[in-house]
Amino acid sequence: MEAAQAWHYFIMSIVSIKLLAMVAVGTLAGIYIGAIPGLSVTMAVSILISFTFSWEINPALALMIGIWTGGVYGGSRSSILLNIPGAPAAVATGFDGYPLAKLGLAGHAIGLSTTASVIGGVIGVIALAFAAPIISEYSLKFAPRDYFLLAIMGILLVGSLSGESLAKGVFAGALGVLLSMVGMDNFTGQGRFTFGSVGLMSGIHFVAIMIGLFGVSEALVQLHDISLKAIKQDVSRIFPSWRLLFKHMYLIIKCSFIGVGIGALPGAGGDIAALLAYGHARRSVKKPMRPFGKGAYEGLIAPETANNACIGGAYIPMLTLGIPGDAVTAVIIGALYIHGLKPGPMLMIDTPHLFWFSVGCMLLANVFLLIFGLTGVRIFAKMVEIRKGLLLPIIIIISTVGSYAINNSIYDVYWMLGFGIFGYILKMYGFQVGPVILGVILGPLMEDNYRRAMIDQHNNILGFLSQLVVNPLSLVLTLGIVITIVGQTQFWSWMKRKVWKSKKEGI
Amino acid sequence: MRKMKKMLLMIVGLFIVSLFSFVQAQDFPTKDLSGIIMWGAGGATDNVVRALTPMVEPHLGKQIVLQNKPGATGAVSTQWVVNQPSDGYTLLYGAENPQLYRVLDISPLDYKDFYPVNITARGVGLIACNVNAPWKTLKDLFDDAKKNPGNIKMGSTGPGGLPYVVGAMMKATHGLTFNAIPFPGEGPGMTAMLGGHVQWMTVGLTAGREHVRAGRIRPLALVADEPVPGLEDIPLIISAYPEYKKYLPWGPFYGVWVKRDTPEPAKKKLVDAFQKGVKDPKFQAFIKDFGAVPMNLYGDGADKFLKHWQSVSCWLLEDAGATKVSPDKFGIPKP
Repeated sequence: MEAAQAWHYFIMSIVSIKLLAMVAVGTLAGIYIGAIPGLSVTMAVSILISFTFSWEINPALALMIGIWTGGVYGGSRSSILLNIPGAPAAVATGFDGYPLAKLGLAGHAIGLSTTASVIGGVIGVIALAFAAPIISEYSLKFAPRDYFLLAIMGILLVGSLSGESLAKGVFAGALGVLLSMVGMDNFTGQGRFTFGSVGLMSGIHFVAIMIGLFGVSEALVQLHDISLKAIKQDVSRIFPSWRLLFKHMYLIIKCSFIGVGIGALPGAGGDIAALLAYGHARRSVKKPMRPFGKGAYEGLIAPETANNACIGGAYIPMLTLGIPGDAVTAVIIGALYIHGLKPGPMLMIDTPHLFWFSVGCMLLANVFLLIFGLTGVRIFAKMVEIRKGLLLPIIIIISTVGSYAINNSIYDVYWMLGFGIFGYILKMYGFQVGPVILGVILGPLMEDNYRRAMIDQHNNILGFLSQLVVNPLSLVLTLGIVITIVGQTQFWSWMKRKVWKSKKEGI
Repeated sequence: MRKMKKMLLMIVGLFIVSLFSFVQAQDFPTKDLSGIIMWGAGGATDNVVRALTPMVEPHLGKQIVLQNKPGATGAVSTQWVVNQPSDGYTLLYGAENPQLYRVLDISPLDYKDFYPVNITARGVGLIACNVNAPWKTLKDLFDDAKKNPGNIKMGSTGPGGLPYVVGAMMKATHGLTFNAIPFPGEGPGMTAMLGGHVQWMTVGLTAGREHVRAGRIRPLALVADEPVPGLEDIPLIISAYPEYKKYLPWGPFYGVWVKRDTPEPAKKKLVDAFQKGVKDPKFQAFIKDFGAVPMNLYGDGADKFLKHWQSVSCWLLEDAGATKVSPDKFGIPKP
């Protein structure tokens, strides 16, 4: 395509007041939809489909892109302020974001997460703009065994999230995997742990588990010292200092790549990208400013960068192949059909404007994200200063509404409350709830792909294991896992010392 | 005398009540309707529903508030709708899945419990393979499968899904077996076929057609008994193997149902509104782009189609050993 033509499509959304307004409205709405747990971007975009049926495709897409960008970011708000992840992609944000709010730095945390999100989002858009064909070919290379390896890589994070005892962490993680198995097995249609109930056939929705374990259980813990005065929030500085940003620029760029890469994979989305990025930060940052889990900036930057970079990544297989990169792109593909377009490998040939138009809208959405994300933070941060006697009931109400909204089902509310109490008990006995959610999110990815890879090898375990090292892509992932595990052992530090010593002696 | 008076009063009372309910039904709908979608946002069912509903609403004069209640291949939604009053205000937007619930032991319900307001469209299966696979025609694939039973990797979407049932047809007619690898939907299965992780798969025309046009997958046959407009170059399965005729037409379908015992006036009003909505040129254009075959059936005609579909599918699954309860037990006849 001619550069002039591409440029024309690219600035379409900026020069048209109508499209500009659509992106702005979308982004703003997205932030709030994302911030309310249970209301998901997927839901919002699918409602928009009927709503925008009679519109032209351009304004409809501009609105959807805005909502999506805002929504992915918005999830971090409630995660930081209330410890309730607004969306699964914001689970990892709370690991260090909520402790920051407890330190009275909620405003600072929101500012940092906004900036990290925008930088990640822009890197994602750049990747989409300039490397889409290459990345989409690479995403097809991922076989079931590779997804299995990715899930293993993610589950290793249990080690970092266990708190006082690794055994308790492993127990919690295994419990999460078990919970994820409840319901109808996709492979055989057999119900597992359903006790004959139709309601349980669809499993326990993981967002209900998430809201209960994080939001409600934390509220219950807070009841212990209800009379304690809320921490005064420091809102003097919202925008993070340039020094802080530059110091972590390398981490931001690495996590953006993780986000783009995972986002482009049709079988993995923002939640997994954020968890992997968090795990990466924990391993690669040797001297965080505060310990991880206690309000490390690195632990906030990593997942926030990755989940927004995911957006650009997820768009890649959608625009180039018509294959959804995650749940939201699946809905957008539906919207394209309804608007008379034909998503697929020919989409960019049939409707050439779509590519650069989408890139333009996304970039614009990130600009609006920066503006909206940094305004009104003071009011939000002050929310945490509300008297606990008021704040805790508000948390319970938000959790209830949110879990009802997932599937419009009262059972999800019961599950949410049940897991809230269960999470409280876990915390009282020194178990962390993080690994449970990790297990719930990664369990199906691990199990399904393991079974697929085994069926592929006619259930021959040796064949399966050899596949893990024969294929170059799988080999890289396997080596990554081996190094991560060995790197945590005594053997590794012994080896390092030995090599260091022999080098010294050599001189 | 007193007794008579009481009786008369009762009769008059009953008459008034029935008159009142009659008037009420005549005015149906007096309030907004609720539409329950049995599959999640972004799926094929969801797409069809969200394109169709705005076309129908003007003919009803009320809004249809849509809600996705996915779960257990739609059994959560069917159960939900059955639990609502039979007043015609709760619509079930669904796909083919309930017709398999009884033999798969998912739920005792199926479309016998619902009145088909409209069966809107049905999808057509496309047998396609990775471009690097050695087969040029369906016969090549069948010959290879005979030589290597259970070895060729086939993408599937779990028991009862389109690829699974077409595989079961091949097993029933030719004794072919494949190494079926299940994926959580057509999209992921198609991705695996593009990447060469499975060699062939039966996919819906909606997604398959565009990849054929781009030359990224090779079409082998359409699972249809009559040509699909615009795709006359792809051979039909029955032109190579006429014995598949008895199964066809077969494919996923989409439609809208209410509870069987909904009052007739309400049913009639809904049927009329949906007939008009489906005929809307804008919706017809959508269906054509979507790669589906328009049907627009209701009432008895729809029930006949549903029964045939159920008998073909249940017995194919039974013969493939995938059922939990024999279709015999429910009196489902052999095709």
